[in-house]
Amino acid sequence: MKLGYTIIYVANVVEAVKFYEAAFGIKRQFIHDSLLYAEMNTGQTTLAFAANEAAEMGGLAIQPNTLSSLAAGWEICFVIDNVQEAYDHAIAQGSQPVIKPTLKPWGQTVSYVRDINGCLVEIASPVTS
Amino acid sequence: MPIPLGYTENLITPKSDRNVEAYWTHVAKGSGDSLILPDGRCDIILRFNEHHSKPPTPIVTGPSTIPYTVSFSTGDTWLGMRLRPTRGALLWKKRILMSENSVLREQDAIKLVPELFQLNRVGLNYSDFKRVLEPIFSVNVVSTNQPMLDAAVDLIHLGGGRMNIDDLATHVGCSARHLNRLFRQSNGLSAKAYSQLVRFHRGLRLIVQERHAISHASIEAGYTDQAHLTRSFRRFGGFTPSNLPSDLSIPTLF
Repeated sequence: MKLGYTIIYVANVVEAVKFYEAAFGIKRQFIHDSLLYAEMNTGQTTLAFAANEAAEMGGLAIQPNTLSSLAAGWEICFVIDNVQEAYDHAIAQGSQPVIKPTLKPWGQTVSYVRDINGCLVEIASPVTS
Repeated sequence: MPIPLGYTENLITPKSDRNVEAYWTHVAKGSGDSLILPDGRCDIILRFNEHHSKPPTPIVTGPSTIPYTVSFSTGDTWLGMRLRPTRGALLWKKRILMSENSVLREQDAIKLVPELFQLNRVGLNYSDFKRVLEPIFSVNVVSTNQPMLDAAVDLIHLGGGRMNIDDLATHVGCSARHLNRLFRQSNGLSAKAYSQLVRFHRGLRLIVQERHAISHASIEAGYTDQAHLTRSFRRFGGFTPSNLPSDLSIPTLF
């Protein structure tokens, strides 16, 4: 078994795709005609967005992701060399700041924002051994 | 999950622009009894037998929260129109507050929905039914609270009825008390009561369709333990999870 997808349920798939393109510089792979599902071009492990309705149709029961509620206890993490620049850009594009770039004792710079749906997104430098 | 033989349903979409959830018909192919599970919606129903020359019985229901049994014979026919949750007041007006589990028949039903008088004749069909009732409910809802109520219903469904009312109210931007009151005024049930009903239906589906063990279904449906789920099944279904009726038909609404 391998990790194939990270799928985030959102109120509006198209808005989420546009936001991720603008804030984190990743590109869309496709948006399904139904506007209920979209995939981003993130390499071997796909980041995808699905509409809340899709969760309901699939028989799931979920807590909706919204900026006004407490963040769910998991995150996605983007890795980049210049964390400060990426963090500033994400904020400028409408991300909610959480933890500004901080150098960890193990040499990694990490920062956290919340996306327009309140999902926790980490922006960090690569971990060097 | 057997859908009763002879049952058809025409769902109306898109859901954000409608007061009517579905027009449905049912023709009994045999005789017997059927357990109807509560769905918290209000219906207008005409019942007649296609082999008899008697005019139909008009029926108006309030939102049901208890199960009931319907006895029928071959040829019994129902034409139904089901309103969306939170649209019951369009039908019941101020009486919505007292409408939970109410059923009006004959003259009482006609008094509430005078248009039903036009349908009081032999040889009625689905098109007549729809043609007479459609204009009554095609009006756009004018209440400024409707978008908030619709958002709350969507969230209740999204969370399988598990989201507590305080969180639900925060999400839609009002207090829990206010939300419960709005719910009662629009559908005769509190948001909490409707959520409990949604949770029951999801728990039931997990056991019947997914064939989960009762203990697993209790956790996923959001009950504190198996006894909690059992109490809910008794209340809304009149059965226990270990002794489900074999011919149970589950509404596809939740």
